[in-house]
Amino acid sequence: MNCVELQQSLAEVEDGSSVEQRVHLRTCPACSALLNELNLIVGAASQLRGADEPSPRVWTAIEFALRQEGLIHAQPARRPLVSSFSARWGVARWLVPAAAMLLLALGIYVRHESLPNQLAEHASETVPVANPSDLDDADLMQEVADNAPAMKTQYEENLRQVNESIRDAQGVVDESPNDEDARRSLMDAYQQKSMLFEMAMDRSLP
Amino acid sequence: MVSKRAAKLVAIGVIVAGTLVAESRKEYHFAVGPRAGVSVMNPYGSISVKPSLNNTVVVNAVLHSDKVEVDNNQNGNRVDIQSHLLAGADSDSGRVDYEVLVPADASISLHSSTGSMRAEKLHGDVSLEGPGAAVDVRDISDAHVHVKTMNGAVNLDNIQNGHVEVDSLSGEVTLRGVNGPLVQVVSTSGKINYIGDFGNGGEYRLTSHSGDIDATIPEWTSADVTARSVRGEVHDDIPLQPKNHTWFPIDKGRAFAGTMGRVAVSSTVVLRTFSGKIHLRKRSEKQ
Repeated sequence: MNCVELQQSLAEVEDGSSVEQRVHLRTCPACSALLNELNLIVGAASQLRGADEPSPRVWTAIEFALRQEGLIHAQPARRPLVSSFSARWGVARWLVPAAAMLLLALGIYVRHESLPNQLAEHASETVPVANPSDLDDADLMQEVADNAPAMKTQYEENLRQVNESIRDAQGVVDESPNDEDARRSLMDAYQQKSMLFEMAMDRSLP
Repeated sequence: MVSKRAAKLVAIGVIVAGTLVAESRKEYHFAVGPRAGVSVMNPYGSISVKPSLNNTVVVNAVLHSDKVEVDNNQNGNRVDIQSHLLAGADSDSGRVDYEVLVPADASISLHSSTGSMRAEKLHGDVSLEGPGAAVDVRDISDAHVHVKTMNGAVNLDNIQNGHVEVDSLSGEVTLRGVNGPLVQVVSTSGKINYIGDFGNGGEYRLTSHSGDIDATIPEWTSADVTARSVRGEVHDDIPLQPKNHTWFPIDKGRAFAGTMGRVAVSSTVVLRTFSGKIHLRKRSEKQ
């Protein structure tokens, strides 16, 4: 068995315990290291799942992206991606891209999760009323003016509303920092603003 | 008097003839395999997607002027269609209306800035995005349905076993007969209407910052419902078994939480708004 065959075989025998796998692993430090890393990822993922379950939206976004890329296909009997991810080596061949996407998504999630706390900690600091996030509204409006002047008014109005929603949600979080529901509202509000920016910057549209 | 009228008629005739001359139709055919991917990007104009009878993607495009072209590309099992605006094209002359037939298991991704987007009778993933686009998706099963709009109205009808995510800033969102493991709508100011039974064991999150949320459900629905309006009102026409623990204090008139129906199959339902109204209604027999 060579390295390629071993990596392919991990999809069938998940933990590298077959006779052929063990023979190869004894003589190949690279594959041994790979197997250790995969074990580490699976172990860490199962701990994450218990400790800090991300929103279902994160899982569904990952699954959707993988399916859009053609990396996975719909199964007749659907199971949540969380379960299939935790099923140890059955998904070994997807662990590397999935782990990369997972880390990216978790990074975004953790950043969003920590945001309310940061906001609460800095509640006494002055926050510019016209721009409650780090995103630059003037750039957005300039982009719209350049690419879709006919929609400028609509973007302006939606930007005003979404900024208002961020301020309102932030106010509730400041009042009740432990209110999970309020924190989620704040995260949603930021995501809405992010979506507005995505639409304005989308080069495929006028 | 007669000459004025004649001149008007001639002018109208010239305009109509000009329009007909400028308008052109194109048709493209692509042979694809199972679970193909089809993407249509159309700055101006509508896109309608329906199932084809075989493993063929058929694209019918109506181009409204010669200032726009249709670029098409097939790469393996993936077909990409894009309206290519030429110099001087605007929202009228750059308009293309598409009617696309795809195998029912194909995944589709549609982008349009201002036109309507419609997809129906498919069981592949559906992604529709556009700032001002009105969206209509119906009769979809076992698929992801993702919609992003700024102010376009969104109508989802008869989506079974879907992973549904709708993000809309100010457009009204209506879900009728939509169920699945995850059904989520997030809006900033748009109203959200849900008419259905919340399925079995799914997670339903309807959130609008300042828009109202209306959920109309049959009395036999099984759901664990939490509703909260921070500054607005909540109304509940259906008696719920109160819950003991919630994330937030149950302020009468502004929040309610409870269960209804059979716990074993109940879905989790979260209705949340900052300043809008929430109304959980009982569906009448006529509905």
